[in-house]
This record gives sequence, C-alpha cells and structure tokens, in this order.
Amino acid sequence: MSDPVSTLRVEGLTVRAESLELVREVSFTIAPGERVGLIGESGSGKSLTALSLMGLLPEAVTASGTARLGDRDLVGVPENRVKDLRGRDVSMVFQEPMTALNPLMRVGAQVAEVMTLHGTPRHEARERAVAMLERVRLPEPGQVARAYPHQLSGGQRQRVMLAIALANGPGLLICDEPTTALDVTVQKQMLELIAEVAPALLFITHDLAVVASVCERVLVMYGGRVVESGPIREVFTRPRHRYTEGLLAASKLTPRGTRLPTVQGSVPSAGQFPDGCVFRNRCPHATPTCETAPALTGDGHAFACWHPAD
Amino acid sequence: MPSHAGTPLIEATGLNRVYHRPRTSLTRPGAAVHALRDVSLTIRRGERFGIVGESGSGKSTLLRLLCALDRPTSGSIRFDGQEVSGRPERRLRFLRENLQIVFQDPMSSLDPRMRVRDLVAEPLVALGLPAGDRVSELLAEVGLPPEAADRYPHQFSGGQRQRIAIARALAPRPKVLVADEPVSALDVSVRGQILNLLADLVDELGLTLVFVSHDLSVVRHVCETVAVMSAGEIVETGPVDDVWEAPAHPYTQELLRAVPTLEGLW
Repeated sequence: MSDPVSTLRVEGLTVRAESLELVREVSFTIAPGERVGLIGESGSGKSLTALSLMGLLPEAVTASGTARLGDRDLVGVPENRVKDLRGRDVSMVFQEPMTALNPLMRVGAQVAEVMTLHGTPRHEARERAVAMLERVRLPEPGQVARAYPHQLSGGQRQRVMLAIALANGPGLLICDEPTTALDVTVQKQMLELIAEVAPALLFITHDLAVVASVCERVLVMYGGRVVESGPIREVFTRPRHRYTEGLLAASKLTPRGTRLPTVQGSVPSAGQFPDGCVFRNRCPHATPTCETAPALTGDGHAFACWHPAD
Repeated sequence: MPSHAGTPLIEATGLNRVYHRPRTSLTRPGAAVHALRDVSLTIRRGERFGIVGESGSGKSTLLRLLCALDRPTSGSIRFDGQEVSGRPERRLRFLRENLQIVFQDPMSSLDPRMRVRDLVAEPLVALGLPAGDRVSELLAEVGLPPEAADRYPHQFSGGQRQRIAIARALAPRPKVLVADEPVSALDVSVRGQILNLLADLVDELGLTLVFVSHDLSVVRHVCETVAVMSAGEIVETGPVDDVWEAPAHPYTQELLRAVPTLEGLW
C-alpha cells in the first residue's frame, strides 16, 4: 500500500509535440479521497494530461512542469523510475477494455501480473487476483479469473481493468472515458463502483452528466488549457467561462420542435487554436481584449475569461 | 407536410431473424441466436420514429431488415405498399431510391480516398440518375461551403463529416431518412448543430425519419413515436412523451433510471 497522504499536485504542466503546444500550463491538485472530473471535447488535451501523469506519452511528445504524488515526481523523471510508479502508485483504466486487455491471457493472470511486476510473490498474487475480482463485484470471481477476455461482456471486461488498476493499492486512479463503450444500464453500475473504490480519482470524460454523477470537483479543458475549475455544482449551475456556458447549454435537450442551443463552429485541430483566449474564435462575446490570454483566476471557482457570464 | 401524411409507409409484420453461431461440434449444428422475435411496427408518412435499445437489443438487426440489407428468417416488410423482404437486389430500386441511411461513424462510412463531390454523387451514380448541380445544392443544404466538394473526408471535423454523410443520403431525394446513432460519435457542442440540421431537413423536405439511438433523451427531442427494444423484442411503443413520462415496461423504467442527467443540478 502506498502512503495514504499522497496528494497529487500538478503545476504548470505543458505538453509539446515539436513546436506544437498541446497542453499549456495546467495546474491542479487532487487530495486523497477526492474525485475530480476533467471534461472537454475531443482535442482539448485531457487525455494527454492523463498520459503525461502516467509517463505514457508517445515518443515525439514531451511534458514539462511538475506533477508530484506525495513526495514522488511523475513528470520529467526517467522511464526506469516511472515504471516503478506506474501500476503501483498511479494507475489508469482506459476507454476500450478489449484493446487494453491481452486476448491470449486469462484475466486472473493479467490481474496477478501487475502485482508480480511490482514484487508480490507469484502464489500470493494469484490469490489476491481472485480477491480483487471479487472486490470489483464480478460474480464467481474464481471462474472469471480462468476466463479469457473474449468470454466476458464489455462491462465485465471493464471491471477486470479496474481490478488490475487497483491491484497494488495505488494512491491515484485515472479513468479515461471508462464507460463510453458501455450501455447505460451497465455504465451506471460501473460509475457507482468507481466512485466507491477509487483512492483519489481523476475522471476524464466528455459527458457532463456522467461527471456530475461521479465527481465533486471539475476542471474544464479547451484548447489545451484549463478554462474553468471548481466545485461541480457551482460550475454547472453558474458557469462563468463562455465555453463552459455553451457546453452546458448544448447538453440540455430542449423539447421537440425547438432549436437546440449550439456552440458555433467546431473544435479546431491542434495548433489551429487562436492566440490569446483559445475560445475567442467561437465565442459570441469576444472582443479585441480577448487577443490577450486571460489568466485562470478565482478562489475555489476559477475561470479564465475576460467577459465572464454572471 | 404532404397531403397523404399519416398513412402507413413502412409496415413490418412478425419479423424474426435467427442467426447461427459457428458450430463447435462435428455432430451438432451451431447454437441459434434469436436476434429478432416477432417484431411488428408501422411507420407513417412524415412521422419521426425513434428506435431505442442497448447493444444486443436487436435494433441494428431491425434496421438492416428495414433497409433490406439483410433478410428476415420469417415475416414481411412492406414499403409504400410493396413487399421488400425476399426480393433480389435488382428489384429493390424503389426502396434504394426512397430510403437512405446515415451511419453512426462518419469516419468509417465515408471512403477516405474519395473526394466529397464523388461521395455525395455516389448514390446518384449507383441509381443511374443525373448528378448535374445536385452536389453543390446538397452541400448548401447541409451548410457546407461549395469548396468542400474538392476536399477529402479527413480534412473535415466530425460534425462536418456527418453533414457530408447527410448530404449523400439526401442525394436521390428519398422519402425516408434512416439515421443510425447519427450523433453518438460527435462532441456535445456539435451534436446540437446536427440534430437541428436533421430537424430542419425533415421539415423542409417532408421526410419520414427513422432515428435509432441508445439515448432515450435524444430520441425524445427528435421523435414523436418511439419503440423500445430489448432482447430482440419491442417491449414498449407509443408517443415518446408518454413513454418518457410513464414508462410501462420494467426495462424502459430501468433504462430511464440509468441515464445520467444534469436535471438534478438545476
């Protein structure tokens, strides 16, 4: 088990691919037991943020800034040190369990593998694997342990992923769209389970309703920056940044026969975001002031906007 | 709305579709999977008809049968009074001209090696209809600039690609537009644009819309009538507001409870 008082502190995290800045100056903290949502549309940089905490960035992509979990550095340390942390102190559940699991290995062995890699003796790991499968509420865990991934349903596979992620008692669990590939009824059970077992959670999704059902605090990303952050109820009931406002309006399905509110245009591709405020080319309230980048300011509920909503 | 609005356009009666798993033993045939069990439904002219269900519910099988992309094991489908099931492809022209499909993922439904002009004109070419100025007309209809015709699908965002797919579906001036999860692969800020576009087109062109989704709240925004599917059967059908307010079947109730909403926050 890792140190229980291991707060995650991320400061000035920037991710670059050659000259392109994909994530810029992202800072946040997650205390033990806290559940934080990271929301944004595709291309907003949320997955890159998560991958840089896991030391899993693709080769030509580099991260700078600091991220510390307790007293251990996660960013800017060599691979041979990151690999001791990954799967032990920080672990991640990916979106698509079918591609994340090894199709040729029984799932019990896959849960045990992450423990033996971090020093648990083989026989002990095998027993604990079954216990982990039980903890993620798979019925008849002994049998499930002997199954291959293709013999399980999507929901069961995602539970196996969660068992693997929790096997070494990590201080931080990162979930990247863990329920997007699941049916809604299965999604509900999975979300309840994640909220219950996560030691500290960074939950990435594009679905605002999902994040509202799991997390207490939320970070809204757009164009590689955190544009708004705060307690979920406050951000969702009284959004200040115009992007958050637009996103929330677009998520509400109005009655039939009425126009749905939309955000004009579409998310630019990487490197095509405007200077200054990243949202200004889609923002109905943009003025020349927005050519200067606004800082993320505010205590508790923070936002980076020159013309915030009331 | 056309004057003959309200008369049945698609009528399916007693549809069954049984698939066979590959055999696992030399002596016994593979297990049978009942993908559809005795499904009947009527879609009227000008109606916006939603089909809701989770994976494995049979909604995709039903859609394939309605579009004559597959044949039922038993049962009949009539389109505008003509029998569809069991006909060879060469005698399905009336259906191909009048019923077109928009698929879920515009990344895989658009050939990456074709220019938008050729993609949109393809159904016309396939049906031997003249293309003329139809492509630029269609692009304007779905809100794309005329220059889009010379570009390739990868040069567009997800929402724009779905517009291209809609333009292609509308090319032969169909009576029925079938949309299979048309917004589930899109970002929230773009979803509204596509749903608004679909609603406009259905109104302007007097289309009948068959809208398939796993999300009852999206169906409620788009459709008047809904059929809820589970395990190969239609478990509940009726006006979408009634089903939403007072779901009668336990499965529909469960489905409604499971959908995460933001309502509680407001």
